[in-house]
Amino acid sequence: MGSYLIRRILRTLLVMIGISLLVFVFVRSIPGDPATAMLGERATPQAVKNLRTQLGLDKPWFFNPANPLDAQYPKYVAALAKGDLGSGIKSNIPVRDELGSRFPATAELSLAALFFALVIGLPAGILAALRRNSVWDNLATTISLVGVSMPVFWLGLLLSYFFAVKLGWLPPSARLGNESTLEPLTGFYVLDGLLRGKPAEAWDALRHLILPAIALGSIPLAIIARITRSSLLDVLGQDYVRTARAKGLSQRTITLKHALRNALLPVVTVIGLQAGALLGGAVLTETIFSWPGIGSWVYEAISQRDYPIIQGGVIFAALVVSVTNLLVDLSYASLDPRIQYR
Amino acid sequence: MTTASPAAAKTKRQPSIFSRRFRRSTPGKVGAIIVAIFVLLAILAPILKPYDASSDRNYRLNLKPPSIAALWDKEVAEEYRDPVTGQVNPWSHPFGTDNLGRDVLTRVWHGTAISLKVGVVSTILALVIGTLVGVLAGYFGGWFDSITGYLSDVMLAFPSILLAIGFASIFSSDNPPLLISAINKLFVLGSPQLVTAMLAVSLVQIPVYMRLSRAVVLGLREREFVQASGALGATQIRTVFKHVLPNSLSPLIVQGALSIATATIEVAALGFLGIGAQPPLPEWGTMISDSRQYYVDSPWTMIFPGLAIFLTVLGFNLLGDGLRDVLDPRSTQ
Repeated sequence: MGSYLIRRILRTLLVMIGISLLVFVFVRSIPGDPATAMLGERATPQAVKNLRTQLGLDKPWFFNPANPLDAQYPKYVAALAKGDLGSGIKSNIPVRDELGSRFPATAELSLAALFFALVIGLPAGILAALRRNSVWDNLATTISLVGVSMPVFWLGLLLSYFFAVKLGWLPPSARLGNESTLEPLTGFYVLDGLLRGKPAEAWDALRHLILPAIALGSIPLAIIARITRSSLLDVLGQDYVRTARAKGLSQRTITLKHALRNALLPVVTVIGLQAGALLGGAVLTETIFSWPGIGSWVYEAISQRDYPIIQGGVIFAALVVSVTNLLVDLSYASLDPRIQYR
Repeated sequence: MTTASPAAAKTKRQPSIFSRRFRRSTPGKVGAIIVAIFVLLAILAPILKPYDASSDRNYRLNLKPPSIAALWDKEVAEEYRDPVTGQVNPWSHPFGTDNLGRDVLTRVWHGTAISLKVGVVSTILALVIGTLVGVLAGYFGGWFDSITGYLSDVMLAFPSILLAIGFASIFSSDNPPLLISAINKLFVLGSPQLVTAMLAVSLVQIPVYMRLSRAVVLGLREREFVQASGALGATQIRTVFKHVLPNSLSPLIVQGALSIATATIEVAALGFLGIGAQPPLPEWGTMISDSRQYYVDSPWTMIFPGLAIFLTVLGFNLLGDGLRDVLDPRSTQ
């Protein structure tokens, strides 16, 4: 276990170096000079030159023969390691601070979406496997097919049109109503409402959360239902399940105590892999529902060509995905004692 | 003619097994029909309803509801009543019109060709590049395998849409590189930004094919017929391309159909975010993006392009499931 852990963590670190390298080259391949972009088209050549020196853009990319560490990439990695991602071109607010203040919004939305996906997807998949080829099975298969085929941004607009505009049941955008006086504590507004002893505010935050969470959760729901079904069917066909049935155990006990536990391993993997899909989907969902998270921020940065923000958002997302994958890999041992790490 | 008949009989047997199995797969049939309809629509569009994206507009008729509703809705019928003849034509704008008075049906129809081209081309590019690299990595192993495996690890760590955004924002300048304008001309896409989006989506799919083909080749490499080919003196290149590659195509074809679905959604998503196709090109994602300002009062500007994306993607997903039933029966439950 020990040596596996070290190797696995080393691999994650190696991947992160690759990520930083890729983003570094990407950002420097963007046409146009950042210094000119920051100062505007009418800046004097001298001012641009001074800013380039100040930003270190006059240094070589990877290697400086005079002083190996005095190049752009080593400095950039050193800054990254300190958590310094630069500042937005337009706002001049450090990217790290803005990431920190926006992360809870995205995290709350992603967790709510995952919760929605699990609450519907798991039972649907289990029911479909237990009643194979029944109406339920067909229903679950249809739901998962529709879920993966539905563009998230279209589903978001449809939900917002029917439930917010037409029916007026739920708010169409933002995290809280206009007259809300909730003071953030954890940044998770539903939780904050409860912690501050204001159930009405928590309810308001929850109502704002429902539509974006459904839109963002649609794809994970479809994938979770599909994997649960096929994995449970696979396990139910194994010898030990037949033995359990021969012992006279009820179907309920067999499913809950014997089959489900083993069937959930692939499901856990898939849930872990959804971290990336959720962060990617957040760009679209948050844009539609004016959700003040990382996704809508990156979207605005794209339209304004604010590269430090795009760079920070992309690196952050890749970091979250790598760490989630690491945690999923490490959680296998506790779920399935047969897996030995060597 | 007599010499041709045995060869014809031989080639006939192969598709008959395929089609017999395929006909038993309901999702496959439904998917094939949906895809065929969209392909037909794309081919017929310029013949039945020629369209010029830049000149087509009619401000007098902007944001009108679907004219088809005139059949049961009196108010809509009034909107479409011809002031001279007093007649109502429910087929004049069946899907309604958008903010510039353009017919939504015509635009959605002409968007079909764009989406199909982009989905298929980006998938084929990813499939060819990814498979080539994956097969070589799986067959030869060693440092090449380590490096490509590491590269795909790094690329898969990015949420695919974010990687595509990053890539698309590098090349979406006013002076596109030669390669991009060449592809733009070759496939008559009419928008260098759309080509960039297409390449971005393709790039994101490459590691999927690298992993898949590598895994398949690892399983094949030790099989007897591959060893026999080597023992009979075939070169390694010949072994790879004559024996290993043809036997690893099935899962790749299945993945290909599913990838077209993903690519269609992602290119539309990039269009929706404003870094794919640019107006006035009738690309579905861009149309939905335009509709964001009007959909509260005019939902048809958003519903029909989205429905077109949904149905196309559904078709390719079903087709992929059907192909899996036929080509790779062990992997289905």
